[in-house]
Amino acid sequence: MKPEIILKTVKCPQCNNIIEIKGSPGKKSILTCSKCGVKGSFTFPKSDDKQSKKTHMSDYNVIEVKNLTKKYKDVVAVNNISFNVKKGEIFGFLGPNGAGKTTTIRTLLGFLKPNNGEAYIFGKNIKENIVEIRKNVGYIPGELALYEHLTGRQFLQFFSNIRNTDLSLLNDLFEIFELPLDRKIKGYSKGMKQKIGIVQAFMDDPEMVIMDEPTSGLDPLLQQKFYEFLKKEKQKGRTMFFSSHILSEVDRICDRVAIIRNGKIVALENIETLKKKTGKKIRLRIKEDTTDIISLPQASLIDGWIEISVQNNIDEWIKRMGKYTILDLEIQEFNLEDYFMRYYASEGGA
Amino acid sequence: MNLNFKQILRFQIAIQTMKDYWKSTIILTLLFCGMAVMYAGMFPSFKDMMVEMGQSSAFDSFAFIPGYEDMATYVGFLNIEMYQIFWTLILGIVIGFIAASIIAKEIESKTIDVLMSNPVSRTQIIIEKFIGLIPMLLIINFTTMFVIMGVTIGIGEELNFFNLFLTHLISVPYFLSIISIGILISTLIYEKMRASIVTMAIVVSMFIFDSIAELSSDFEFLGNLSLKHYFKPYKALKFGEIDGFGTSVLILVCCIMLFVSIWYFNHKDITV
Repeated sequence: MKPEIILKTVKCPQCNNIIEIKGSPGKKSILTCSKCGVKGSFTFPKSDDKQSKKTHMSDYNVIEVKNLTKKYKDVVAVNNISFNVKKGEIFGFLGPNGAGKTTTIRTLLGFLKPNNGEAYIFGKNIKENIVEIRKNVGYIPGELALYEHLTGRQFLQFFSNIRNTDLSLLNDLFEIFELPLDRKIKGYSKGMKQKIGIVQAFMDDPEMVIMDEPTSGLDPLLQQKFYEFLKKEKQKGRTMFFSSHILSEVDRICDRVAIIRNGKIVALENIETLKKKTGKKIRLRIKEDTTDIISLPQASLIDGWIEISVQNNIDEWIKRMGKYTILDLEIQEFNLEDYFMRYYASEGGA
Repeated sequence: MNLNFKQILRFQIAIQTMKDYWKSTIILTLLFCGMAVMYAGMFPSFKDMMVEMGQSSAFDSFAFIPGYEDMATYVGFLNIEMYQIFWTLILGIVIGFIAASIIAKEIESKTIDVLMSNPVSRTQIIIEKFIGLIPMLLIINFTTMFVIMGVTIGIGEELNFFNLFLTHLISVPYFLSIISIGILISTLIYEKMRASIVTMAIVVSMFIFDSIAELSSDFEFLGNLSLKHYFKPYKALKFGEIDGFGTSVLILVCCIMLFVSIWYFNHKDITV
């Protein structure tokens, strides 16, 4: 087993100069302040020391993925991907169905063995320390399957027994996600199952939660509650990895986003950059000849509808259309396909 | 292999496995106790017929079963009717059937994802699932033993209870080795029903191999391949003898099967 390396920042007691140091848990190191020359010593906390996790620096990478490749026989599901997830951020993992999102997540959690590359979570290699890593990771599976013969209470009890930690978040969670705990999970609706999946992932206050399309199965009202909950959790400093195929959802809650397509990461952007690139789609049918409009680069004709991609200039476009007789009109958010069509059309079909 | 004893010693998965099977345990215990009452209880009414059959060498048709010559006595009757067929074969099939589903059902129903997202290693899952099945085996096994003791007293037959205890005791490694084969199949085949049927087929084949070997010395090598060959209830029940070598082989098979299961499960992708 490789020794774990902890990255810490310490403050010089004399001049408040901040120094970055690296070392393994339990190791004592002698430091000299580069600014004022004061000497001191620092003992790295043991890895099971909960406190140490909270004091990691903010640009500490909770997940580091380096050239990860996963093949199923001859099919390359994940192709040489690399990305980092920083502590305390909501990291969006966006891609159409079948792009490799779930494969990436399942590889990170140690369910699948990577063919190539490596990944670290909390600085620990997933190959060697996956059980240790999972102590501080919550997970909401994409295809959530539960022990249906158990009641909600028994189900949560089982996992709390396995994890053997305090369920410090449980009551807060029950306030948001009400559940019929004494009913067998067999009798739960899809939404209820998703809720218990969420509760199970967050209940012992893990340092990071990995979510694979967690909002599928939630009604709009609950989705809203869930987004608010995630924002609150982010404020507490929890790192969250959020996979989705819905652009507007990622755009709304994530800080950074990696876009995966056909097993490759095609973009890694700040949400602000992504927002600039997304927009609205005006779809309309007009009585007059469409030739003039569709000759514009933003417009195209699909099944008799003119489609115009607009960013911030929606007013300008609506006014421009004023001279036509409009038979029908729709305004939609960009979806992932529109985004791909616009930015990655050259790399093959969406 | 990611073996964390601290985690395993908390036995949470094992306890859950026991809880999941408590209903099956009760039903199977009742079933096997009922059968024990039937077989032991019907001996007095068959006794005279058995003696007659013994004189006319009709027992020869049971020559594939060890101890068949002794069928006219209570011990011999119990051996043939209860232990050699019903116990060794039928309970073997049932236990194998259950063990073979134990990993496969988690994967088939996709619950393995939520289980494995917790701090448990694959090694731990196999070991704890194995441990979790042991109470079921012990409860069925020893409850049946007590029922046979009761019936024996009830019908006033002679039976050495210590030998009876030995018979049930040496059946434990026999069934544990079947459980371990079931678990290995369960890690190889990710469909619950297929894994169970394959394991059943293995248990039945081993029974047939051993029977053929008993019948003809030309096929003795086949018997060596059968777990039943290493479990000798007749010797224990009649003479109070434990086949130390046989029992060691069963324990060894159990360990090897578990080890291979753990090794294979640790190297396999969990695709759901």
